Amino acid sequence: MENASSNFDPQVLARISSLKITAINMVDGILTGQHRSRHKGASVEFAEYKDYSPGDEIRHIDWKVAGKTDKYHVKQFEQSTNLKCTILLDSSGSMAYKSPFEKEESKINYACNLVAALSYLFLKQFDAVGLTLFNDAVVQHIPPRSKASHLQHILHGLSTLSAKGVTQVENVLSGLAERLQGRGMLILVSDFLTHDQDIHKSLKLLRSRGLEVILFHVLHPDEINLPFDGDTIFESLEDDPTVGLDPIDIREEYQKAIQEKIDQLKKISNGLGVDYVFMDTSIPLQQALSYYLLKRKSLIKL
Amino acid sequence: MSLNFSSPFFLFGLIGMSIPILIHLLTRRQQKHVHFSAVYLLSQSQKRSIKKSNPNLLLLLLLRCMGIALLSLALAGPFFYFGDSEAFRSNAPSSYVFIVDDSYSMRSHIKEGTLFESAIQFLSNFLTKIPEGSEFSLVLASHPARTVQDWIAQKNSFEKLIHGLQPSYQRTDIGHAMEKATHLLSTASHKDKSLILLTDLNENGWDKEVFLEVASLLNTPLQVFDFSILAIKKNQVSVESVETHQEFLARSRILKIKTKIKNHSQSSQRLPVSLIFDNKLEKETLIDIPAGQTIAKEFSIPLRSGDSIRGKIKAGEDALLTDDIRYFSHQPNRNIKVLVVDGDPGTVSHQSESFYLERALNPFSVSVSHIDPTVSTLAELPLRNLSDFSVVIFANVRDLPVGYELKLESFVLRGGALIFGMGDQVDAKYYNEKLGNLLPVTLEAVQKLKKTHLLFKNNQHPVMRAFSAKTIKEMKEIPFHSIYTIQARDGKSFKVSNWFTNKNPAILESDSGKGKVIVFLSSLDRDWNDFPIQPTFLPWIQRWTQYATRGLENFSQQNLLIGETFTQKIDKPNGQWAVRTPGGNLHLTLTADGKTHFNKTGFPGVYTLFELPDETLPKTITKLPLGAQSIGSFTVNLDTKESSPQKLSDIKTFLPNLKVEIKKPELEVSQLPTSEGMMLATPLFLFVVGILLMEGWMIRKE
Repeated sequence: MENASSNFDPQVLARISSLKITAINMVDGILTGQHRSRHKGASVEFAEYKDYSPGDEIRHIDWKVAGKTDKYHVKQFEQSTNLKCTILLDSSGSMAYKSPFEKEESKINYACNLVAALSYLFLKQFDAVGLTLFNDAVVQHIPPRSKASHLQHILHGLSTLSAKGVTQVENVLSGLAERLQGRGMLILVSDFLTHDQDIHKSLKLLRSRGLEVILFHVLHPDEINLPFDGDTIFESLEDDPTVGLDPIDIREEYQKAIQEKIDQLKKISNGLGVDYVFMDTSIPLQQALSYYLLKRKSLIKL
Repeated sequence: MSLNFSSPFFLFGLIGMSIPILIHLLTRRQQKHVHFSAVYLLSQSQKRSIKKSNPNLLLLLLLRCMGIALLSLALAGPFFYFGDSEAFRSNAPSSYVFIVDDSYSMRSHIKEGTLFESAIQFLSNFLTKIPEGSEFSLVLASHPARTVQDWIAQKNSFEKLIHGLQPSYQRTDIGHAMEKATHLLSTASHKDKSLILLTDLNENGWDKEVFLEVASLLNTPLQVFDFSILAIKKNQVSVESVETHQEFLARSRILKIKTKIKNHSQSSQRLPVSLIFDNKLEKETLIDIPAGQTIAKEFSIPLRSGDSIRGKIKAGEDALLTDDIRYFSHQPNRNIKVLVVDGDPGTVSHQSESFYLERALNPFSVSVSHIDPTVSTLAELPLRNLSDFSVVIFANVRDLPVGYELKLESFVLRGGALIFGMGDQVDAKYYNEKLGNLLPVTLEAVQKLKKTHLLFKNNQHPVMRAFSAKTIKEMKEIPFHSIYTIQARDGKSFKVSNWFTNKNPAILESDSGKGKVIVFLSSLDRDWNDFPIQPTFLPWIQRWTQYATRGLENFSQQNLLIGETFTQKIDKPNGQWAVRTPGGNLHLTLTADGKTHFNKTGFPGVYTLFELPDETLPKTITKLPLGAQSIGSFTVNLDTKESSPQKLSDIKTFLPNLKVEIKKPELEVSQLPTSEGMMLATPLFLFVVGILLMEGWMIRKE
C-alpha cells in the first residue's frame, strides 16, 4: 500500500498533472469510436428480432409487429458495454534505462506516458481500466474501474513507481491469468529484456481465457543499436554480472541478438493472435500511439 | 653455471621496454561505466564474438616488450657457461697478453694496407670489446722477441702505443715471444687471463726447442688469429744474396755483382731483375726461375771512378716487396801514391834499392794495384811536393836534406805515412839525432847474423790476416842476414808488429798525429835478405803500404743481417766514430777493447761509417761535425728465412697440451675472446625475428 504522505508529495502531484495533461492532449486528438460489446443488451441500436419465449422482457416485445403478424417478437439491441482492461506495466530495473548521450526521458517515463494515455482513453470511453505494476512479482495492483475519477488513481500509481528488480513476466502472467475475468483486455507494457524464454506459454494461457492481449514492446534505440564505443564497463540495471568490453567488437553480434528477440516476440504474438506493438522511445509517443490506434480501428472496421 | 655478457652496456636497452608500455598507457581509451539494461545480451554476444581486441592489445604489448628486451639481451652478447662461474666472468676484468707478429712477412700487401696494419686495426677493435678494468700487455714476436708494454690498465694509452707500432725487418721468433708472454701471465693481477696471438702463421720462427720449455709453463688457452688468410697473393720471390767482386784485368776494372734469387712459388717465374745504383736503374734483365729453385745472376759493370758504389738488386714485385730488394755497397780501392826514396841508386837497375819495391808495389806498370809508386833519388827529394803522396818509403837512405825532417814531421802530423827500410847506407847517428820526433827508437848498430827469420805469432797483425798458413810458412823460411838493433826512446810509444826469431824487433810502428811511422829493421832490397825475390814480398809490402794509409780494412765487404752488430777493429782507442743509417740518422758507435760496435741495424740498406775529428767528442750526434771523414760503408739486409711462404702445418706439435684455437681475424659482436661458453646471441636474435613476424601477423589480422 502506498504511503499516505506520498499522495501529497509535490513531485508526485506535478508528475500526475503532467501525465494527465499529456494523456488528455494525446487522447483528445486521436479518440475515435467506442468498443462494441459482444452481448446484446439495452441500447438504442436495433440488432434483430427474436421469437418470444417465456422469460424474455415483455417491454422488449415489438407490439407493432405483434399487431401485424400475431406473433410475439422480441426486439434485440446491440449491447454497448464497458470494457475491463488491465494494463500490466513492467517496473523492473531494465525499464529505468536512460541513455548517457541524450537528455531525453527514460524508458519508464515513456512507458508511463503510454499507460496514462491508454488509461485516459479507456476511461473516456467509460471502460474500466486497471493497472498492475510488476517486476518479478506484482508490485502494485489497481483494479479496473470505469469512473472518470479512477484516472487519478492510475496516475498516482504511475507517479510513485520506481523501476527496480528483475523482470519475471512469466510468473506474473501465470498468476494474473487466474485472477483476471474472461473476455477482457490485457495490455502488457514491457521491454521484455528477460531471461524468460517461456512467455509463449503464458500468453497462450491468457488467450485461451478469451483475453485480448496487446504487447507494447518498449525499447530505447541504445538497446537496439548499441552505439557505445571504447572500453566500457556495462553495469546491469538488474542483477546480471558486470561486463567490460569494447562494444565495437560485439556490436554486430548484439544487434543480431536483439533483433532475434524482437522477431521471436513478434512471431509468438502473431501465432497467438496477440497484438504486438513495437515502441521505439525515439519516436514520439503520440505519433506511435495514433499510428497504432488508427491501424487497430481500420482492422475492426474490416 | 653462469650467464655472462660480453657487452653489458647494451643491457641499458632493457629500459626501452618502457616505451611500448608508455605508448599503450597513453593511447589507452578511457574506460567508461555505463548502466545498461541488456547486459545479459552483451555477455551472450561477447561469448559468440570472435573479435577480442583487449586481449590482443595486451598480447601485442607483451610481444613488443619482449622484442625490445630480447634485442637488448642479444646485443649485450650473452653466453652461458656451464663451468665454474667464478672462473668465467667475461664481463669481469681480465688480463690480456697480446703477441703481435711484427716480422717482415707481416709487411705483405693485402687488399688494403698490409697484414700488420690489419692486425693493428683488429687489435684496436678488439680492445673496444674488452670489459673495463682489464689490463693489457704487448709482446712483439719478431727477433729478438720483446715486451713492449708491461701490464697497463689504461686502454687509451695502450691503443696509442699499438697505433705507433711499425713492423720490423726481422724474422719471426714466436717461441721467445711465448716465453715473454708466459712470464707476463705469471704476474697478471686478474684471475681471468687471455693469451692472444696475431700472426701470419709463417713456419719460420716456430722453434721446437724453445717451445719445449714454454709448453710446460703455459696453461692459458691460446687464441691464434691467422692473418695469412687475408693475403691475396703469396710471397713469390726473394733476393737471397748479393756479392760484389772486383776483378783485375789489364787496362780495365770490372765490378762483378753476383746475386741469388729464389722462387718460393709452385710455378716457374719469369721476372725482371734490376741493378739499381743510387736509385738509378743501371741494368735490367729477365730471368726464368723454376718452381722452388734458386738462380744465380751475375752483373758485370765497369768501374768508372774510384768512388764507392751503393746499390740494390730488385727482383720482380710480389705481395711482399721487402724481400724483393737486397742492398750492396762496394768501396773500390783508392790509389795510394807512394814516393820511394832510393838511398842507394845503382847503375844497374836491379842493384837499386827501389828496383824490387817499385815492382812489388805496382807489378803491371799500370795502376791496377791501387798503388802508384814514384821513385826519387835523395837529390830530387826537395823538388817533390809531399802533399801529392800518401806514403813515403825511405829505402836505405843515409840522411835527408837539411831541414827536410821538419817537412816530414808536418807530413806525418797531417796524416801521411813513413816507411823506413834499413841498409848499409843508413847513418844511425843522423837518424837518432834528426829524426827523433819521427822515430820512436834509436838505431844502435847493424847486427850481422848467420841466419834469422821472421817470427809470426797467433795474434796476427792486421797486415798478416790476409795471408794463408802456407804463405806464412814460406815467409817464416826466408833468411835474414843483417838487421839493425834498436833502443827504445824515452817517452815514445811504439808497437813491435813483427819479431825476428832472434828476439830482435823486425817491424816497429808508431802513431804520430794523424799519420803513422813504420820502421822495417832490415833492407828492402836483397842486400841483407832474400825477401824481395820471394813471391810473398809483393802482397806483404802492398799490405803494409795500405795499412800505413789505413786503407787496409775494407769493411765495405761486410754484409750484415738485420739486427746483427757491426764491429770494426780500430787503431785509435780515443777516436770516435759515427754511423749514418739508410734513413739518414746519425748514431755514435760504442768503442771498447780496440773495437767499435754499432747495433742499431734495424733497417735494410747501406750504412756509412764516419771518423770524427779528434777534438770533437760529443755524447750524441745530430749533424756531422766539420772534418768528419767517411771511411767506408757496410750493408744490412734481411734474413731471407722469413721469406718462405710456407705456413705452419700443425700448431699442436708445438703446444701438445694446450688448448689452441685458430680463428679468422673477424671480430663479431658476440665473439668473446676469453674462454669457451655457449653463445646465446644468435638464438635471441632468432627470437626477435620470430616476435617481429608474429607481431606483424597479429596487426594484419586486426
